[in-house]
Amino acid sequence: MSEAVKVYVVDNGGQWTHRIWRVVRELDCVTKIIPNTTPVSEIDADTLILSGGAPRVVWESPKLGNCTDYFDHFKGPILGECVGMQLMVIHFGGKAGPAEIPEYGLAKMQVIDEDELFRGLPKEFLVWESHNDEVKETPNFKVLALSENCKIQAIKHTSKPFYGVQFHPEVNNTEHGEEILRNFVNVVKRKRETD
Amino acid sequence: MFNAEKFIETTVQELKNKIKGKAVIGISGGVDSTTAAILVNRAIGENLRCVLVDTGYMRKNEVENNERMLKKLGLNVLVVDAKERFYEKLMGVVEPEQKRKIIGEQFIRVFEEVARKENAEYFVQGTIAPDWIESGGGLRDRIKSHHNVGGLPEKIEFQIIEPLRDLYKDEVRVVGKTLGLPEEVYERQPFPGPGLAVRVLGEADPESARIVREACAIVEEEIEKAVKSGEMSKPWQYFAVLLPCKTVGVHGDVRAYGNIIAVRAVESLDGMSAAYSKIPHKVLERISVRITNTLKDAVSRVVFDVTNKPPGTIEYE
Repeated sequence: MSEAVKVYVVDNGGQWTHRIWRVVRELDCVTKIIPNTTPVSEIDADTLILSGGAPRVVWESPKLGNCTDYFDHFKGPILGECVGMQLMVIHFGGKAGPAEIPEYGLAKMQVIDEDELFRGLPKEFLVWESHNDEVKETPNFKVLALSENCKIQAIKHTSKPFYGVQFHPEVNNTEHGEEILRNFVNVVKRKRETD
Repeated sequence: MFNAEKFIETTVQELKNKIKGKAVIGISGGVDSTTAAILVNRAIGENLRCVLVDTGYMRKNEVENNERMLKKLGLNVLVVDAKERFYEKLMGVVEPEQKRKIIGEQFIRVFEEVARKENAEYFVQGTIAPDWIESGGGLRDRIKSHHNVGGLPEKIEFQIIEPLRDLYKDEVRVVGKTLGLPEEVYERQPFPGPGLAVRVLGEADPESARIVREACAIVEEEIEKAVKSGEMSKPWQYFAVLLPCKTVGVHGDVRAYGNIIAVRAVESLDGMSAAYSKIPHKVLERISVRITNTLKDAVSRVVFDVTNKPPGTIEYE
């Protein structure tokens, strides 16, 4: 058996940061929550999951600590959730800002490109949301999923192993949430084997 | 996967190392505090004193029933009647966060008094993950101050110990079950620390507490009856809330003008997200008829809450 995947959850102050930690632990990964101010040199993880959080991406991004540093210098796949994804998109030249129609709680999501993240999952399922901001434009990323009120629900970078989700796979009410995180962990495993 | 046996083993060992001498635990008889008490009891035995506070905001017959249950579990229980002091401190207070802070402080003052008498330096709480997550701090926004975290006063006389801090309700239930708690305890629905005080929106005076206590009892009884008869499955949590606004009604050809009771029931795993329960209308109707008849002088209307979490929270304040 190969060594357990080491997944660090970067805390951006989300209500569900600890939930990510819990689901990842249930996937038999080694995991811990780290502050978003942790220097990248101190991180010995295989992958990072950036949590969501209360900070607004346009005018409160200093509260997101070293997250942008991770995009440039962390050696491994990254999954950005909610504000974590919005920041990732801005960092790579895209746009994010206040949502036309914010989503709270239940939303129906449609998968348009299953990629590795949604492999083996239905084309449409119910997810749980909680966001005031949204991604507007994503050059350098392909869009994997959308909902009625938010056209960019999941993305993947065109050349780097970076993923983003606007919805919350770690929330128990989200259908197939654990499978999505398992798929991501599998991406990390495969990446580790090929590197 | 979460391994309850391993959790119990390491936690009891840690508690043995940490607690030197006597400890006091704040216990309500709910699944979190009872599970925490059994863990500490395994570690230090008779040196644990369990304090059950009657805040005046407990549910119908809850204090008596829980005292009996806890004693049956072999715990060393002391019931403190603090009704008057809670009522007095909350008089005229309407802001939800202020209410929660006052309640948090009063709890601690009661526990400090007991700890002083017992010569205990440690205070145990059944705090679980959502309590500190929702209480906020640092980058995390405060959703509500849970009485045992965000509601704590700044100056506290003892050292706080929270053995369940990283667990969610569903994991605590597994620990409770593994520890041999009766099913009625480990399957018990959650009940907030501040009790009925946060189910009376606005000022939680004794009369309002009495009304919502009665309404909660009716919601619980009717839903539990319907679950027993197979009409519906048991929601994760189900209760009544007294809204501070009045509506017109008609009672025996006479105008009535009373408050509104909101019925809330949700499905959840861990309380961090929830969907409202799709309760059959027949059950809702029985609840509505019983509440408006039984509480006719106070309540003229019953509504059912169809909000998920988010955007709502489960409790109202």
